[in-house]
Amino acid sequence: MDNKKEQLADIVGSRFVSDDPAVLDTYARDNSFVLPLKPWFVAQPGSVDEVQKLVAWANHSSTPLIPVSSGPPHFHGDTVPSAPGAVIVELSRMNRVLRIDRRNRMTWIEPGVTYGRLQPELVKEGLRLTTPLMPRPNKSVIASLLERQPTLIARYHYSFTEPLRSCGVVWGTGEMMYTGEAGSGPLSLEAQWSMGARHSDPKGPGATDYVRLLTGAQGSMGIVTWASVRCELIPAMRKLFFVPATTPESLIDFMHRLLRVRLGDEVILVNNTQLAYMLAHQADKVAALTKSLPPWLLIIGIGGRALFPEERVDEQQQDLVELAQTYGVRLASGIHGATTNEVYDLLLAPSREPYWKLSYKGACEQIFFLSTLDKSREFIDTVYHTARIHNYPESEIGVYIQPQHQGVAHHCEFNLPYDPRDFNEVSNIKQLFSKASEALVSGGAYFSRPYGIWADMMYSRDAQSTSALRKVKRIFDPNNVMNPGKLCF
Amino acid sequence: MAFSKEAYRELEDIVGERHISNDPAFLDSYAFQWLAELVRPNFSHYMPRPVAVIMPACTEEVQRIIKLCNKYRVKAKPISTGWYHWAAPLKEDEETLQIDLRRMNRILEIDERNRYAVVEPYVICAQLQAEVMKLGLNINIIGAGASTSIVASACAYAGMGPSSFWMGNNSDNLLGMEWVTPEGEIIRTGSLGSGNGWFCGEGPGPSVRGICRGWVGSRGGLGVYTKCAIKLAHWPGPTEYQVKGTLPGYRLPIQENFRVYTLAAPTWDAWADIYYKIYDNEIGYIFHRQYALAGADLGPALWLTYIDPEKTLNDVEEAVKRKDIQDLTEELRISFQFIMAGRSIREIELQDKILDQILKETGGWKVQRYCEKDMAEFTNTYMQRLGHKHMNFVWVGGYLGSWMQTGTPDWVKGYVPVAIKGLYRDAAGGNLVQCGGDALMGNGSSIAGGGNMGLEQFVSYDPADNASVAAGTQHMRDAIVDAVANGFPPGKEAMYLQVGESDEQIWNALRRTPQPLAFHFQRKIKEAFDPNNVGDRMYATLPSEGKP
Repeated sequence: MDNKKEQLADIVGSRFVSDDPAVLDTYARDNSFVLPLKPWFVAQPGSVDEVQKLVAWANHSSTPLIPVSSGPPHFHGDTVPSAPGAVIVELSRMNRVLRIDRRNRMTWIEPGVTYGRLQPELVKEGLRLTTPLMPRPNKSVIASLLERQPTLIARYHYSFTEPLRSCGVVWGTGEMMYTGEAGSGPLSLEAQWSMGARHSDPKGPGATDYVRLLTGAQGSMGIVTWASVRCELIPAMRKLFFVPATTPESLIDFMHRLLRVRLGDEVILVNNTQLAYMLAHQADKVAALTKSLPPWLLIIGIGGRALFPEERVDEQQQDLVELAQTYGVRLASGIHGATTNEVYDLLLAPSREPYWKLSYKGACEQIFFLSTLDKSREFIDTVYHTARIHNYPESEIGVYIQPQHQGVAHHCEFNLPYDPRDFNEVSNIKQLFSKASEALVSGGAYFSRPYGIWADMMYSRDAQSTSALRKVKRIFDPNNVMNPGKLCF
Repeated sequence: MAFSKEAYRELEDIVGERHISNDPAFLDSYAFQWLAELVRPNFSHYMPRPVAVIMPACTEEVQRIIKLCNKYRVKAKPISTGWYHWAAPLKEDEETLQIDLRRMNRILEIDERNRYAVVEPYVICAQLQAEVMKLGLNINIIGAGASTSIVASACAYAGMGPSSFWMGNNSDNLLGMEWVTPEGEIIRTGSLGSGNGWFCGEGPGPSVRGICRGWVGSRGGLGVYTKCAIKLAHWPGPTEYQVKGTLPGYRLPIQENFRVYTLAAPTWDAWADIYYKIYDNEIGYIFHRQYALAGADLGPALWLTYIDPEKTLNDVEEAVKRKDIQDLTEELRISFQFIMAGRSIREIELQDKILDQILKETGGWKVQRYCEKDMAEFTNTYMQRLGHKHMNFVWVGGYLGSWMQTGTPDWVKGYVPVAIKGLYRDAAGGNLVQCGGDALMGNGSSIAGGGNMGLEQFVSYDPADNASVAAGTQHMRDAIVDAVANGFPPGKEAMYLQVGESDEQIWNALRRTPQPLAFHFQRKIKEAFDPNNVGDRMYATLPSEGKP
């Protein structure tokens, strides 16, 4: 081990290698139920060159590498080693915003750049990113995009890799390449920029879509060292509307239409519990807040950008009113229990600290998958039914439905807070999580991001894709040094 | 192992004798391909003849055919609607079975609520568009026109079209797909593979589609795509085309919530400014530079003659001499077609107001003659349906595409003068049609949402005149030299020329690319998914050269 520590220090510098037990402990487990396993070292590379050397060293020494670019807390087990003797490749030192191009609405960032860091930089140029719902301020933008986390504005979600475009990657082989449009130029961003390349096309190079082999991979294919990301204009004017309902199914036809005509920016569906978790800064406020909110709420943000923003908002508002009348739903400009600004702040900024999902009970188990909107009610019933069997109060399940890919697919998420200090509660939630996941998979829920126990559930249903992915893995990481034990590897 | 009678009989057992043939007359109809004469010896119009052509009816038949190709070591080359010479067998010394997918022509499902359609490979854009428009939905029709296979553009080639700015490239729109690999395995991607329906093409985990659907797809070189789901877009127009007019100048009346314009700019810098402002303001439904394909010098005379029911193409020569046409020709030098569609009347009125402001700020204008009812309604038909693909061949029966490198509008405007100068130079020899150096046609966006596009130089040549064909080939070589000399990568012409080159020539070109590693990875992918080398070299690879 000492030898390995010296070798790591040779690559990244002794200051950036740690085997402090307290540090290693923070990577040995997360907020999921995956088995804890302590890594041997944490190494913090500061450059692409160091990353490449680390991967070459890992291949030579048969050492598992676990890339980690976001700060804690982690939730899905993907950053917890599954193999002994692992080195955490902690990428927070690579935290430069490399460039922002207002005219082409692109930014280039390193993996350590977080939402908390990037958004203020973009604001200076009148830009922003469409983000996931209330991400942790220390959540790496690149990690979020690579893991296909759902983003709030479905009409900008042109495909599941949006708004991620080109990447620089060090594959598990140790070889470095650029993907997408950047794959057609030399291995130098400066050289490509000087030639006018802006890396807005994610596909390729050639007949392979390399970025798609990196997405959803939980760091098992390689380490992304930079990415180009498309930005949006900040609306000069915006308004928020609410459609309250007693059941989610009563909103589905309206949502289908709204998404089809691409009316609105943020379009999200939540139950009252979910919104209460998002709003409440203190745990003891959640119950009262939940009670004051309508059982279900569709939140619609509209914005006006560039020319005539007021008229753009006005036009959308009038169309929205007419659409609501057509579908017999009530459109409100405010709700009991929260001000419009409070809700807008939730949608536009990273989470407060501590992370909102933990503020109610200290821990939160999450179940999420993709579905079409018309099937979401069945899945809600499945989770409620399983919760009842396990005596978990239905009223404490936060439900969040986020349209994706311009409304063709929907991210369905269930948040189940629990007290991590209560052994019985932990044991119960663990069983509930497992049983609900099984029931959902059997019922047709598509766990496109299969963390932890979901991996076996999904890959056992699709032998051909599993076989194909294993072939891919052998090409890009033949010695299986990149996060071994995850997915089907 | 040579293609034997035994192999033929086994294939016949799969599809029945009516659906397989080795009749030379039939086979030559597959070898006869557009562009062949540009790259084949002695200006031949024929690509190599396949050993047989087979027409499967379903995925399972395709799978059995591919497994036989593995058994007999015969290349498998699928073709659906075809386009380009690479749809045919590529080498004389490679026995190739042409798999014609025309019997797989069903629209399997249209899910109106969740906005996708599931189609087989011989469903063409026009067919699906007509069906989904009845439901108020639409599809992105690629630049190659309404008669092309949706599966081909979504899974196997480029996928961009005039509507990609709003509706997305068909790569963006691809959901679940069914792929018979070169080994004969059936892979169903995304949610489809897990038995959860067609709605998502990604995952679980990394997306398998990444293996074969890059900037272009594998162009028939890595198995057969037998079904796919495609995302549909909103169509705020009529549920049926109420087409009017006289052939060929059909007209589609413009609905109250539509606007159909041809816009022009004083300079290419101003053109780029207009582009970026349209991009920022998120207006427009179709964004395309179409009419330039006939050449900047002759285009206006051609189009106004074309839509006039009392004229024939013989009248173009006279039209060119008219003062009003000459003025119009100058006005249209830097122009493009732009169709806006509003979800409501108030929205289209706002889009109109925004567009007017953009033109005011940039010095652009609406080209009045092209915005008059006859030409605007013709434009509406042309752009919404892309049913006039024959116009590519209008001058002398042949055309090729050069340039078409994609990037930001600011980057594209950099190669425009080089491309224009090059075509004027090459056409001056008299063997290419002299319709103007600017025959640059292209989509407002090659990706969903805009910001990335390209312009393709349409070079008309006479495929029956060897001197003209030779000039076409020389133009492509010149375009590569021009591009490289001016700091641009080679364009579409390099893809055309490679069809006629040796493996060594192609490898040398791939080695000179900035990142040859990508083609080494593609070799490894090919080795893993096509161990018997059943696919042809359209899925480009570099030999191992001692690398593991």
